[in-house]
Amino acid sequence: MSTTTRQAPALRLRKKSGIRRGEAASGWLFTAPMLILLGLFLVVPVLMALWVSFSDWSGRGSPFAGNVNFIGLKNYSALLSGGGLAEQDFGTALKNNAWYVVLVVPLQTALSLLLAVLVNRQILKGRGFFRTAFYFPSVTSSVAITVLWLFLFNSTGAVNKLLSYIGITGPNWFNDPGGIFHFGAANGPGFLTANTALGVSWWDWLGGPSVAMFAFVLLAIFTTSGTFMLLFIAALQNLGGDVTEAAMMDGANGWQRFWRVTLPQLRPTLFTVLTLGLIGCWQVFDQIYTGTKGAPGKTTLTPAYLSYQAAFNNQEWGQGAAIAFLLFIIIVVFTLLQRWILAERKVSKRRMRLYDIPPSAGSGPSSGASGQTAAAIALTAPLQRKDRP
Amino acid sequence: MQRSTTRWLVAGALAAIGALTLSACGSGFSSGSSGSPSGGLTSSNKALTVLIGSSGDAETKAVNSAVADWATSSGTKATVNVASDLNQQLAQGFSSGKPADVFYLSTDALAGYASNGSLLAYGDQLSNKSDFYPSLVKSFTYNGKFYCAPKDFSTLALEINTDMWAAAGLTDADIPTTWDQLATVAKKLTTAGHVGLGIGGEYARIGAFMTEAGGNLMNADSTKATANSQANITALDYAKKLLNDGSLKYAKDLGAGWGGEAFGKGLAAMTIEGNWITGGMQADYPNIKYKIVELPAGPAGKGTLQFTNCWGIAADSPNQAAALKLVEKLTSAGDQLAFSKAFGPMPSIQSAASEWKKANPALVPFLSAADYAKGVPTAKGAADVVTDFNSKIESLATGDPKTILDATQTNLAALLK
Amino acid sequence: MSTVVKPAATRSFHRREQLSGRQIASRSVLYAVLVVIAIIYIFPFLIDIATSFKTEPDAASDPLGLIPATFTTAAYQKLFLNSDFPIWFKNSAIVTIVVTLGRVFFNSLAGYALARLHFRGRNLMFAGLIAVMSVPSVVLLIPKFLVINQIGIYDSYAGMIIPLLTDAAGIFIMKNFFESIPVSVEEQARIDGAGTFRVFWSVVLPMARPALVTIIILSFQGSWNELSHFIVSTQSPGLTTLTRASPRSPPVSSARVRSIRSSSRPPRS
Repeated sequence: MSTTTRQAPALRLRKKSGIRRGEAASGWLFTAPMLILLGLFLVVPVLMALWVSFSDWSGRGSPFAGNVNFIGLKNYSALLSGGGLAEQDFGTALKNNAWYVVLVVPLQTALSLLLAVLVNRQILKGRGFFRTAFYFPSVTSSVAITVLWLFLFNSTGAVNKLLSYIGITGPNWFNDPGGIFHFGAANGPGFLTANTALGVSWWDWLGGPSVAMFAFVLLAIFTTSGTFMLLFIAALQNLGGDVTEAAMMDGANGWQRFWRVTLPQLRPTLFTVLTLGLIGCWQVFDQIYTGTKGAPGKTTLTPAYLSYQAAFNNQEWGQGAAIAFLLFIIIVVFTLLQRWILAERKVSKRRMRLYDIPPSAGSGPSSGASGQTAAAIALTAPLQRKDRP
Repeated sequence: MQRSTTRWLVAGALAAIGALTLSACGSGFSSGSSGSPSGGLTSSNKALTVLIGSSGDAETKAVNSAVADWATSSGTKATVNVASDLNQQLAQGFSSGKPADVFYLSTDALAGYASNGSLLAYGDQLSNKSDFYPSLVKSFTYNGKFYCAPKDFSTLALEINTDMWAAAGLTDADIPTTWDQLATVAKKLTTAGHVGLGIGGEYARIGAFMTEAGGNLMNADSTKATANSQANITALDYAKKLLNDGSLKYAKDLGAGWGGEAFGKGLAAMTIEGNWITGGMQADYPNIKYKIVELPAGPAGKGTLQFTNCWGIAADSPNQAAALKLVEKLTSAGDQLAFSKAFGPMPSIQSAASEWKKANPALVPFLSAADYAKGVPTAKGAADVVTDFNSKIESLATGDPKTILDATQTNLAALLK
Repeated sequence: MSTVVKPAATRSFHRREQLSGRQIASRSVLYAVLVVIAIIYIFPFLIDIATSFKTEPDAASDPLGLIPATFTTAAYQKLFLNSDFPIWFKNSAIVTIVVTLGRVFFNSLAGYALARLHFRGRNLMFAGLIAVMSVPSVVLLIPKFLVINQIGIYDSYAGMIIPLLTDAAGIFIMKNFFESIPVSVEEQARIDGAGTFRVFWSVVLPMARPALVTIIILSFQGSWNELSHFIVSTQSPGLTTLTRASPRSPPVSSARVRSIRSSSRPPRS
């Protein structure tokens, strides 16, 4: 973008000469289908939802009907400081999802990078086969794969059968609400159980995801690592061999080459993958909806599912929308925070070009996921432009 | 950073502009909410749509043929749609002002839709109103109005594995009729391989003990929270005692998803489930021999929980008169007995009882329980409180019944404000 | 010539020989690791396929087995002979094809404009896209339905297809790609007197084949697996798609949960 800005004076001169005549008109013409379609089916619904989050709409008739009232921040305050079940559920959902993010994002990034590096070896025979195998789970719809997961992680299912071969009695995965960091302890020390945040005790905040949620963590890693592996492969293939060769000449071993040469060059892709992961993980819905509906003991409740539940099951549309917008704020804050932490002040132009590699797939097969892809790209994009010389 | 900040500001500005544009076209959306005429029903020659959440082919087929019969005899067209997501599709209908005319409605959803005016309260106009079990009518009464006709219902009873029963040296004379007897046989039936009583660790099962002690989470009209009553504390104390004796275990602790699975896999000699268990046993565990008996009486006599759905009619339906006629037909003895045969649940009207008992002699205890069964709370938001309560009674063995019930009392009381 | 080639060839031959000593071990480890991971990734699907040929009790008693004890095609017979499978398949195919074509065209058009054409409001458009996409889509279901219903395309192919005709992700991919194509290519065409659309259509678009392939894969996969939009936009059985009808889709599995309720059974927790 800034490339074109720099050329602007020259272009302005040429404009007079007629080469770029009518460009504004074509610009609007070219983007008109997008504006109409996304405006009508995305912008208008988002704004309607925003209005609903400040209203007492109960789901009957249009949200703009005369009997729907503006009630200010009431829906938001019930969630953040209401002291009732709504606040407690929101706190529980945030806790569950935060642990999910903390585990999934680093693990899926590391695994996909590892797979990409392994598969990208020039000498490897059957690269195509391995790539397809690792990408396979990403193509399947999230619904089908969740059903499969419920089947595999049944108390007498395939996973526990495998564990039994090595002498481990597997947990009753999707029915076990125990926090994995509580290690079976029923009650914690008083100072942890006595204090609460958002209606959830510190002891529970620190307890980690439940065993059931952990099964979903494994599912997420399983389904997304293939997609992100493709992004890393694309980036790896665009790395110049020259730098690596130079490092080789300097006598760096494989491990050093990876950490000091390859990884820094992969930074932009790493960035996209992390951002995609953050956004996707905070919006986890399909798996919960198909799988557990928040059970056992509310330990797989997530904000996105809670939003659905509030609106569709309880006719609390305002509260449902408010949850969605609080989630929106969390996502934006986390993304900006991550951008700030990882930001590299100067990135060479060559690396910037790497960034332009189109990602080959979203974090999942649903259209929601592709929306997230775009959002991630968009959110990370300003970084590259800012840093351009 | 400077630039990206600008970008976000720009985004905000765009949103604001959009909001202005939207409020301009907002008037276009407000067509749906015309109040339903008070008193009389709407009537027209418009076709009816029936929206159901089906359990499978058998249910879909049965409802389809019943509705088709009615359409032929009444001359009013009617189609059945099977919802992919009943909640979402109902919500769509109500928000657009063009809902399905007749639809399945659960006790959970009644309060929400009744309070926002989406439902027609037609109960009192049913010609067969007095035939429904009174406790079912209560489940679908909101703010003193009987909203919709109960479609069918289920109750909880005690299932006993007869082989294990005989192996423990027990006879028919030992079938428990009191809490003490239940505790005794549960202990006798507990061996290294299986537990005496295995049930789901949730209100929908443990709640039966509450009714036997004379309590429940809310009163029959769901207008008052009664969660921390002495009766409920007695009930949870009893369950806690059985848990700590080791003669009662939750299904999940036995490695099963629900009581029926624990029972079918031979992990429990007895369980507490509803009439749906028969279908599951037949399909998955055909080799288990068992018998069904009524739940033993508690300190306050017999008690159990019942579960039900109704046929909702939309306030915005243009043809309520015909919808009412259709519902009367679908809740008639003939149709309900056919539904029961096709997919399981018990008829919601008393006049079909004797015929149903004749057709299902082994299941009689379920229907006998209708005389004293109590419904689950139906106040708006009660389902969430029950979910919360469920998560707490999972740790009943180590928890304090009063503390658990006090917290639930607070949550339920908050709903009624 | 041959004298030059020969030493090189021998040298590389030697090098390979030398490396093989310590690298054969590490390479076999690499293969072993890859094969193990590949099995982990594929095995669940093999089990899935095997299970589809099993009888119900067999599937319950032997979840791991890849060979059914009693081989049955009952599930498939039911699917192909006793259901509306052809209708579901037809609907899914129609929607997927039209949506894929639409996205290829509209996404590249908009992506090109955002990348290359200069007009007021371009940055605003870009920022707007970012903002609306971070809102969780669950909350948009009913508003989206209201819009579809209001403009009169509810329960029609139009309602199923039009809202999906473009997607923000695709636009970004195309925008990124077009920015990587040298400007000089277009300038030449412009100097030769080609109009904007002409430049786009016959000069730039053919160069964007890799990005277009990506869009095609993404769109195909996305619209084939799409579910919530179809619930929001249709109700007639005649417009049911595979995702809506498939017994594995959440509506049905939740219908099963509901069945439970519809036959008056309390929800299992």
